[in-house]
Amino acid sequence: MDILWLGVFALLLIGYFALEGFDIGIGMLLPVLGRTREERDRLVAGMAPFVLAGEVWLVAVAGVLFGAFPHLEGETLFALYPLVVGLLVSWVIRDAGLWFRRRLDGRAWRAFWGGALCAGSYGLALTWGLALAALVQGGPVLTPLGVGYAAVVVGVFAIHGRRFAAWRAGGPGRTGRALLGSAALAAVPVAVPLAVAAPWLLDHVAPSGTLRVLTLVILPCVPVMVAAQVWVWRAFGRRARAGVGARVPSFF
Amino acid sequence: MDVLDLARAQFAVTGVLHFLFVVLTLGLAPLVAIMQTRHVITGKPVLERMARFWGQIYVINYALGVFTGLVMEFQFGLSWSGLSRYAGDVFGAPLAVETMGAFFLESTFLGLWIFGWGRLPRWLHLACIWLVTLTAYASAYWVLVANSFLQNPAGAEVRGDHLVLTDFGALLTNPTLVFALPHVLGAGLFTGSSVIIGASAYQLFRRTREWEFFVRSLRVGVVGALVGILVTVGFGFAQFGPVGQIQPGKFRGAAVGTSLGFMILIGELALFGVLFVLTPLLFRDWLARWRWIHPLLMLVTPMPFIAAILGWLVREIGRQPWIVYGRLTVKDAMSPGLTPGMITASFVAFTAVLGLLAVIDYVLIARTVRRGPAAATLGAPGQPDPAAPSSPCHPQAAF
Ligand code: HEM
Repeated sequence: MDILWLGVFALLLIGYFALEGFDIGIGMLLPVLGRTREERDRLVAGMAPFVLAGEVWLVAVAGVLFGAFPHLEGETLFALYPLVVGLLVSWVIRDAGLWFRRRLDGRAWRAFWGGALCAGSYGLALTWGLALAALVQGGPVLTPLGVGYAAVVVGVFAIHGRRFAAWRAGGPGRTGRALLGSAALAAVPVAVPLAVAAPWLLDHVAPSGTLRVLTLVILPCVPVMVAAQVWVWRAFGRRARAGVGARVPSFF
Repeated sequence: MDVLDLARAQFAVTGVLHFLFVVLTLGLAPLVAIMQTRHVITGKPVLERMARFWGQIYVINYALGVFTGLVMEFQFGLSWSGLSRYAGDVFGAPLAVETMGAFFLESTFLGLWIFGWGRLPRWLHLACIWLVTLTAYASAYWVLVANSFLQNPAGAEVRGDHLVLTDFGALLTNPTLVFALPHVLGAGLFTGSSVIIGASAYQLFRRTREWEFFVRSLRVGVVGALVGILVTVGFGFAQFGPVGQIQPGKFRGAAVGTSLGFMILIGELALFGVLFVLTPLLFRDWLARWRWIHPLLMLVTPMPFIAAILGWLVREIGRQPWIVYGRLTVKDAMSPGLTPGMITASFVAFTAVLGLLAVIDYVLIARTVRRGPAAATLGAPGQPDPAAPSSPCHPQAAF
């Protein structure tokens, strides 16, 4: 049971990096990849249907942390206080950029929320890098290693975002396999610390009574969760691009 | 203010902001789902336009519910790590189920609904909004399970220095939960309906060109408000029984007593108004035709929001000084080592960002109402969207 919940936790966190990594990457690269407003609109519209289904992985991470590792929840979040606050603020600003950008047509409005999307995405990547490094070192929130690690996270997310944009645009060599490759790359910066921290995590798992209840209630939801995620990729993946839907303007 | 006051104020401010948006989400979701269902069955275009227009308002509102919810979820660890140390083995479970079994699905299905207009088969697209509604209600249930545990730590036992879960069934059927859930869901339905009534009244008062659209919307709003307020008031009074037994003297303090009094006043006036004025005036659409009544309807739209906030103030202030009633005080639950600098900085950051975004969100909602259904962009078929990806060049390279 302990191993099962460690596995769930690891899977969700890795899933988050693989699935949100490209959204964050595109957000960071928005001014670079999108030179004109139309290009930026196209980039954001390309990632839009995947964002909601991607960021929920992190919400689930927090939930599992609370449910299956309750003592770590308080300890680690508090130890990383400024980084968690920074991560949350970045997350909210990134999402606000997405939700608000296309609500009005004005040039300045779009530019402002495009900027929020970009800045929030950088904030997310950087705070993740710093937080992971601080966790592994078990120490202060700002170290040279942390800064280096943050740069690594920014780098892999940027690569992943670029791959995703290319995959959406289509073209020779821009295959799903290439995208899977960059997804794996994006997951490495979190998979390594997870592997290192596994014994420590196992030490802090909730008692078996709690885990039994969680397993009982959540296990039946898992097939639905998986099905919903697969549905998103089938509905908005490359095969589904033509048709009536192409004439509905993207909401984000 | 000391650190404890600041930490409490931070939680209260994010909590109030969160519920202002969540209460509308809870109410609009089923109403939009019903509109879309009627469209799919009858094929009437006006019903589809209603689902898109009110759906757009629902979606704009949803965004802030998520932003504030994220901040709330993490605040437990940031400010109240003593709570997870003492009660995490019990309290964490419902929150974990909420995120995985409810919110995860709600958000995924909402994405499918928002971006699935014109892409998904009609019935599957309809299923999405019903799944969103269902999971939103499930979310409300699990959050209230967690909150009710704080009101009345049922199903748990003290072992050593912390609580352990002994009876999951008791946790799920907590007496402080069973009447609060319908009270809150009723309040949501009443709030969502009030927004539809107020917005429709605004358009009708301005002699809208969309007469049929807003007369129909007004009818949906009044019926929803009738059901909502009956459930709210009924289960509101029903709450006095269990609360009186479990938390005697809860309503005695001045702040709690006043809040409770105002909530009940709003609830009873609303019940009277909906039952004896709005519902009868649906006859021959008098409510839509009598323009003098429309400004009044606009004016009372904020009332359910106010009542809902007062309700939470009653429930939460009433249990002070406890965070887990009778077991752990708020003071003891605060993260040890939390400094005034930390809490002030995060308080300012969260409040500034969320407050600003909340104001912008309401302006966007008001603007959507003002511009009317013709300008709704959610699911609007139109020109080929230059932003939509073009047809596939390499269909074999699918993911
Ligand atoms: C005659 C009308 C009403 C009565 C008798 C009533 C009664 C109550 C009581 C006794 C509580 C506190 C329960 C506790 O401390 O555990 C409460 C809470 C609450 N009320 Fe009301 N209420 C009424 C109307 C309303 C209205 C109109 C709304 C909003 C539209 C509302 C929203 C809430 C909310 C959100 C809570 C907090 C959650 C809960 O405890 O259910 N109430 N109400």
